[in-house]
Amino acid sequence: MLEGRNAKNPEIIGFACSYCTFKASEMAGSLRMKYPDGVKLVQVPCSSRVDPAFVIKAVFEGADGVFVAGCHPGDCHFIKGNYFTRRKVAALKEMFDTFSIKDKLHLFWVSAAEGRRFVEKVSGMYNEIKEKKNAGKTN
Amino acid sequence: MQGKQIKIDTIKDALNEFLKDEQHLVLGFETSKDGVRHRIFKSSLEHFSLLNPFFDVNGALYLRRLFSRGSQIILLLRPCEIRAYSELVKLNQIEREGITAVSIDCFGAVSAKDGENETLADVDQPKDYFKDTEKMRWTCLVCRERRGVVGDAGIRIGKDGTIWVFPYTGKGENFLSLLSGELQEAVEMAIVEHAKPEKFATDMTEFAKDISKCILCRNCKAMCPVCYCIDCVFNGDEYLPKGDALLNKVFRTGSTDMPPGKELFHMIRMYHVSQVCVGCGSCEEACPQGISLTKYFKGVSERLQGMFSYMSGRSFDEDIPYLTFLEDELKDAED
Repeated sequence: MLEGRNAKNPEIIGFACSYCTFKASEMAGSLRMKYPDGVKLVQVPCSSRVDPAFVIKAVFEGADGVFVAGCHPGDCHFIKGNYFTRRKVAALKEMFDTFSIKDKLHLFWVSAAEGRRFVEKVSGMYNEIKEKKNAGKTN
Repeated sequence: MQGKQIKIDTIKDALNEFLKDEQHLVLGFETSKDGVRHRIFKSSLEHFSLLNPFFDVNGALYLRRLFSRGSQIILLLRPCEIRAYSELVKLNQIEREGITAVSIDCFGAVSAKDGENETLADVDQPKDYFKDTEKMRWTCLVCRERRGVVGDAGIRIGKDGTIWVFPYTGKGENFLSLLSGELQEAVEMAIVEHAKPEKFATDMTEFAKDISKCILCRNCKAMCPVCYCIDCVFNGDEYLPKGDALLNKVFRTGSTDMPPGKELFHMIRMYHVSQVCVGCGSCEEACPQGISLTKYFKGVSERLQGMFSYMSGRSFDEDIPYLTFLEDELKDAED
């Protein structure tokens, strides 16, 4: 039963910075914009709080995709947190590339005012993964 | 480059002179009946060896959280050990003051696990250790950084078998002044620079197959010179799936591995050491199951360091990439 449900709908874990991306998701909610159920957000104080170990663990526990999202570079509440995030996640992507699982990880910048952009990014990623996941399946 | 041409006895005499002070120590190699081992020499040098054809552990492991408190220590180690030392200095795990790091040209090493390694100790000429490279560790065979060009000074061996000492920093010059002899222009060295490696690539199936033997003893973590956190994320079982999480995984993916979480453990550790990994192969040496870990750790870390044109341990002045940033870079990392 579980298997059948998950075969069609991917599950995505998102690490969202509480000052920008998480606020954007709240804004999207208040504007009644919809994004897929499969996207689960984890609120972190700053995107640089995301130790790549979190991402690797999420992938190993069965997430079909993981994204790390924070403020645009230069807008960080902690001045330069997201610059460090960029380096860390870029390196993690390179490592995932080595193991040929690069498409599971995404990084994007969404500011608190960009509710629409958040929905677009998240649904885009969801649909992409869903398409790949269901390719070659009959039912 | 200018350096001093010396004899092995010159070094021994100079170090013996240096060790007369109570507070002075030398970390180097000692020969004994059953091979060559690391040893910290105090007051005098006995059975000192410049080169070590056996690899058991990385010497930088002994230096972690070392704050010399007034004593003077000279390290005479392999380049990979000196590189690990300089990474630990950058990570504030070792106080550089009082330590003079001297890297020695390395001609490769055999695994200490290899039972037949006694035969090698009889060879007089170091560069004849490996006439046939069959016995050499795979890690050393593919190592491109065996030149003694890191640390404060370097001891290098010329093509004609002569020994040379080159200073790289002020401390290195102090070390050089201990040795008698005149500065001269150097001859051609026996070990030359090698080309950059090809990009390493693999996939999860191959990785899972290779590490399926892992028993999660975490010896690789304990023996890695640069994996130093006191509070490791793998202390306790927070990061290793248990009970419910394991059952959940079976329902999601249709299978699970036993013991659970070994891929997770190695992937996380691989990422955590990626920027400082020197590719010495201590993890492989420590593995009771004989898993070829270095292939993955070295391959991945070379790619991740290459992204930032960084090389672990190359110099004391370069910042570790994760600890610094440029405002305008990595445009293709975002999507």
